Amino acid sequence: MRTEHDILITPNRLHPKGGEVIDRTTTIRFTFDGVEYTAHPGDTVASALTAAGVQVLSRSFKYHRPRGLLCCSGHCPNCLVQIGDEPNVRACTRPVEAGMEVRAQNVWPSLNRDLLSLTQLGSRFMPVGFYYKTFIRPQKLWPLYEHTLRHIAGLGEVHIDTPLGEFDKQYLHTDVVVAGGGPAGIGAALAAAEAGAQVLLFDENPTLGGHLRFTVPMDSSSPPEASKNLPELLEAVNHQPNITVFTDTSVLGWYQDHWLCAVKGTRLFKIRTKSVIVATGAYEVPLIFDNNDLPGVMLGSAVQRLVHLFGVLPGKQVVIVTANEDGWDVAADLQSLGVNVGAIVEERESNACSSPYRDGLINAGVPVFYRHIIVEALGSNAVRGAKITRIDEHGEISPKTTQSLHCDLIVTSMGWTPATELAYMAGGKSEYNEERAEIIPVSTPPGIYVVGRASGTHALDSQIAEAQQIGTAAAAFVGFGEVDGLTAHSPDISKPRRTSERVCVPGNKKRFVCYCEDVTDEDVQTAIAEGYDSIELLKRYSTISMGPCQGAMCSMNTIHLCAHANSSTIQETGTTTARPPTTPVTLGALAGQNMEPVQTTPIHQWHLDHGADMMVAGFWLRPNHYGDPASEAMGVRERAGLIDVSPLGKLQLTGPGVPELLERIYTNQWKNLPVGRVRYGVMCNDEGVVLNDGVCAHLNDETWYMTTTSTGATPIFEWLQWWLQSGWGEGIHLTDLTDAYSAFNLAGPQSRAVLEKLTDRNLTNKAFPYMRVRSAKVADVPCRLLRIGFTGELSYEVHCPSAYALHIWEALMDAGREFGIAPFGVEAQRILRLEKAHIIVGQDTDAMSDPLSANMAWAVKLDKPDFLGKPSLMRISTEGPKQLLVGFKMVDSDVVPDEGLQIVEPDADGRLTITGWVTSSRFSPTLAEAIGLCWLPPELASQDGAPFTIRIDGNLVEARVHHDAFYDPDGERLRM
Amino acid sequence: MWRSHELKKRYDVVIIGGGAHGLACAYYLAEEHGITDVAILEKSYIGAGGSGRNTAIVRSNYLTPEGVRFYDESVKLYEQLSDDLNFNVMFSQRGHLTLAHTDGGVNTMRRRAEVNQIEGVDSRLIWPDEIKRLCPYLDVSDHPRYPILAALYHPPGGIIRHDAVVWGYAHQADVRGAHIHQNTEVTGIKVKKGKVTGVETTRGRIKTGTVLNATAGWASTITTMVDIKLPLTTIPLQACVTEPLKPFLDVVVVSGSLHVYISQTDRGELVMGASVDPFSSYSMAGSLTFLEGIAGHVLELFPALSNVRILRQWAGICEMPPDYSPIMGFTPVNGFLIDVGWGTYGFKASPIAGKTLAELIATDKTPDLIAPFRLSRFEENDLVGEKGAASVGH
Ligand SMILES: Cc1cc2nc3c(=O)[nH]c(=O)nc-3n(C[C@H](O)[C@H](O)[C@H](O)COP(=O)(O)OP(=O)(O)OC[C@H]3O[C@@H](n4cnc5c(N)ncnc54)[C@H](O)[C@@H]3O)c2cc1C
Ligand code: FES
Ligand code: FES
Repeated sequence: MRTEHDILITPNRLHPKGGEVIDRTTTIRFTFDGVEYTAHPGDTVASALTAAGVQVLSRSFKYHRPRGLLCCSGHCPNCLVQIGDEPNVRACTRPVEAGMEVRAQNVWPSLNRDLLSLTQLGSRFMPVGFYYKTFIRPQKLWPLYEHTLRHIAGLGEVHIDTPLGEFDKQYLHTDVVVAGGGPAGIGAALAAAEAGAQVLLFDENPTLGGHLRFTVPMDSSSPPEASKNLPELLEAVNHQPNITVFTDTSVLGWYQDHWLCAVKGTRLFKIRTKSVIVATGAYEVPLIFDNNDLPGVMLGSAVQRLVHLFGVLPGKQVVIVTANEDGWDVAADLQSLGVNVGAIVEERESNACSSPYRDGLINAGVPVFYRHIIVEALGSNAVRGAKITRIDEHGEISPKTTQSLHCDLIVTSMGWTPATELAYMAGGKSEYNEERAEIIPVSTPPGIYVVGRASGTHALDSQIAEAQQIGTAAAAFVGFGEVDGLTAHSPDISKPRRTSERVCVPGNKKRFVCYCEDVTDEDVQTAIAEGYDSIELLKRYSTISMGPCQGAMCSMNTIHLCAHANSSTIQETGTTTARPPTTPVTLGALAGQNMEPVQTTPIHQWHLDHGADMMVAGFWLRPNHYGDPASEAMGVRERAGLIDVSPLGKLQLTGPGVPELLERIYTNQWKNLPVGRVRYGVMCNDEGVVLNDGVCAHLNDETWYMTTTSTGATPIFEWLQWWLQSGWGEGIHLTDLTDAYSAFNLAGPQSRAVLEKLTDRNLTNKAFPYMRVRSAKVADVPCRLLRIGFTGELSYEVHCPSAYALHIWEALMDAGREFGIAPFGVEAQRILRLEKAHIIVGQDTDAMSDPLSANMAWAVKLDKPDFLGKPSLMRISTEGPKQLLVGFKMVDSDVVPDEGLQIVEPDADGRLTITGWVTSSRFSPTLAEAIGLCWLPPELASQDGAPFTIRIDGNLVEARVHHDAFYDPDGERLRM
Repeated sequence: MWRSHELKKRYDVVIIGGGAHGLACAYYLAEEHGITDVAILEKSYIGAGGSGRNTAIVRSNYLTPEGVRFYDESVKLYEQLSDDLNFNVMFSQRGHLTLAHTDGGVNTMRRRAEVNQIEGVDSRLIWPDEIKRLCPYLDVSDHPRYPILAALYHPPGGIIRHDAVVWGYAHQADVRGAHIHQNTEVTGIKVKKGKVTGVETTRGRIKTGTVLNATAGWASTITTMVDIKLPLTTIPLQACVTEPLKPFLDVVVVSGSLHVYISQTDRGELVMGASVDPFSSYSMAGSLTFLEGIAGHVLELFPALSNVRILRQWAGICEMPPDYSPIMGFTPVNGFLIDVGWGTYGFKASPIAGKTLAELIATDKTPDLIAPFRLSRFEENDLVGEKGAASVGH
């Protein structure tokens, strides 16, 4: 138990020095697993905890082994924590905020005493692919096993009451995107901007500078341009108006046509660019050796980040394991800060080392073990020592020569793997470069460039020279300056190679290749021996590289191990496909603001004020009813009713080509429709399936007005556009007036009387008969009147400009008061139309229904020259439909079968065969009977009155086929 | 698990496509009919196609009696598959929910439930209180945009470890003598007098009288080699997966209106997918539009997930028939058989497709179970319409 006094101690914090990003003048507090810690603004959660001496941050995925900081750059799984209700946060990149509640994940019962770590004791019996080979029998017990497995699966937690956060999106347009703001990225951005291109420069860190922020570039041969240090570069960026900088922003992916996306906290950027420069640097590669996952084993670059950015040193006695000059840089760096460098363990011979610090370090008494390598990290929850050994003349490690070094921090600097996901997403090709021992991009599609460490160039001076070339080339590509052949570029291999090909040191403990998934080198060998020998199969079987870091830490090592086990080359082994996103991104950021609109009609509020029960209908909210749908329906039959049908799709078509288009998209005839007439039409697709129905009115010579179903408004507009743009559009303008116009259907025997009060137009049956269109002023507003109706009563559909919708609606209601008018909703309309046996496309038809079978043969003219669906309908017409849509009445008039129920035929043994289904059903208030529509085999459907059975709640209930409309079969009422 | 072989000059049966379907067929040919002189030709590695890219939903709550019967046999085979293959395919039958957000949706779900029950499949319509019990993280409140009115609940539905199915079949086919040839692409098919005589591959020629096209997303590229045109459209289908989370979602949740489905694996990742892309293509690169869309739709259903992170996205290609049902069996070319049209829903059918096609090859007769899926149905106007049950719910 830590005391109040203890928590304020930050034993690992160094004295202040230049380059830090923390503000030491302020101290804030936060908690980790309930214990309070201090931090300075600018600290990350991990740097603050490290300052306080906390080493274990998480438990591993499978074996629940303690894990601490490894990369300190957001590219491994070791520091994943829960912060409040946010799971899987990388503690090493998340800035601390006062009062933050940080918790360890995946621990039971606690981080430091995790009983599930016992799973590793059994791990000898839990080799790779373990689950595939166990829990097979008895099969009945698998759900039980699985239940237990799920109990221990997963990392962070989702709290059920997590509020939906605030997220947004921003579009950006530019000439050149530079991903990565290290020296190479900055240099390329400057060059491109100087040439005149607009440049967006992105970096995932809080400040630009890349590795210059925490390393001292010592191997520079110092030509004048290379002497630009970080402040100078930043200064130049600041003064370059063509560059816009985005820090804390990760470029997530490249998509077709240079369409990028990037994220900064809760904001998603969507970027259209003409060229992309990938300057995303490199991942430092871990070394695989016994207990290499012990907290206190860190990458060299991680330690330098901690030291220089946050003034935190994660140990007191350091052993540096290296195979390149970077390890010596780290040693010198730490030494200069007064840290006790206990030893340098160098894989190479002394004469291969060219570090400028070598003599200084040796003179200062730092022991150097040439031709040595680490074999084991000692300690149980944290590093207490390192076991090292000699590499013999054959390059093998010799167990006889092992010795232990005392230390509490093991730093490995074994090499780099370029971070080139974006280039590969864009179609770049790579090759294994023997000299560098790195997989390096060798070709990229036009407009895509790679620079700096991402392209295998490590030395700062070369990076800057290369950046100048690449930036100029990118600018030229987008039209600024000349393409001067400078694009030819190969990695600068004049400098000593940085990456060791020795990725794994054998031993007898666990050696982790993949930290995310707890996969060891032995697992890899086993999987390959079992036949999962290609890199893709290996990955899928072992789940290697499929964890939260997406292989940043393990892909390269895996390829080496795989190549070695198969005795093939790295090139032959190949890589796996790079897939977006490059870093995990929240659903919230991807979703942005909620953009799912609910559409309401202009008189929505009126409906609410009058007690409407609203329902979702496609994009719309519509009144389902105003209390009593049956009496609303009766009101229409006996007096007058008014329904808001504004959601209907309303399309205006103009031009001489319209009749021809209508002929092709509708199944019936249009060419001869006189002006002033309205006709009903059905649209089909190529399979002859009904897509939509509605009416179309011929307004004047070249103008037509089409309505579609409300859910069909957008799809039919797109469908027409498709055909217009595919060659049927000559001389046609299509305008979507769905929102611009509102529409109300005034229905019932009194509707003429109601409307007459509001218009001068002659409404007599003679002057304005059924299926006609007229323009008229209604309540002083110019409107379009269609004499059509779904309800079977005399009715007028009033279409008016939406701005006047409420005025017209209220005027109609007022005028109707003396006739007993009432508003009616969707439910009453459904009852009324069913009494007329009118079908609803999408309810009575499905993705298979054609108009011939759906009892609409009268609306299909197979003798037209051509129309959509004709060939299919011709075939159906010759062969005869397989099912027919037909009306039915229940024998017991009180039983209304639910829509969707099946029509069945029992055989002698009671086995049921499905012969059809109920598409619509209601109790008809007009007839006081249960009626409906259903699909039946033609033999049955063609006999009026034929009995059949519907399965209701498992029982068979009788119904009878009913031909014709249930109400007013001759259609006299609507022609009144 | 499986061996490499030299390509023989001749095989009794050549199966093109080393996905779950082709491998299953090889297994059942050997296991049930003693036919072992079989080559499986795979242009890449086994499972490289849809079989290694799908979201592994297995269910039988389809819409047509023919479909329900067929997929139900597959579910039954899956239930005993770990035992049969001696390889745990981790079939996790934790239940499958298809949400209805409109009254029309409720009717469609009722229609499916009824058909399913009549065909003996466990499936029923449930209401928000029960939905909430099965899936507490779903927002079943009176949400203005997509209220959850009801759901079709299918307890035997669930997810499976797709790769395990591929490997399990591959291993057992190999043990029984079939030759699995990876990195072997078929480039041509020899037909003489209307009868198949052999195939050409990137590794040489093979003589054979029987070829099965089991290449799913690439099926039409193979049928064009024998001049057969299929009513298929090639369309990409995308999916994505999140970082691992403590399990909180037991059931598979599908919403047709929102074009999204989601499940949580035994590793804790959420696997999510949508309906097919809006245009046809052979590209397997994912799109940003997909990610944005799916994220928004998932949050409509599960508002608590806004901080959950997507780890990777991918795409596969699907060949869609107009009625969303497969095309299986004989073709006008003698000896050229097809197992195609698997669209976005074929993984769940791997065992039964493999088994029935093996029977067809062995007996030269179409088994009753797959007769409705014959190629000639398109000329006979006898489609098996499954769009209502397979367009999003795969
Ligand atoms: C993202 C996504 C999600 C899906 N989700 C589901 C789901 O949840 N449930 C479900 O049931 N289904 C789902 N599917 C569909 C399912 O993946 C496929 O229907 C199924 O995998 C088809 O299996 P197959 O064995 O027939 O084909 P595949 O697994 O695609 O195998 C075909 C093989 O043929 C090979 N091939 C192609 N051309 C040649 C050639 N010329 N020579 C040699 N070999 C060749 C390919 O490389 C490939 O490996 C989904 C599909 C995708 C893309
Ligand atoms: S230490 Fe934080 S991600 Fe590696
Ligand atoms: S270490 Fe992260 S996926 Fe392997």
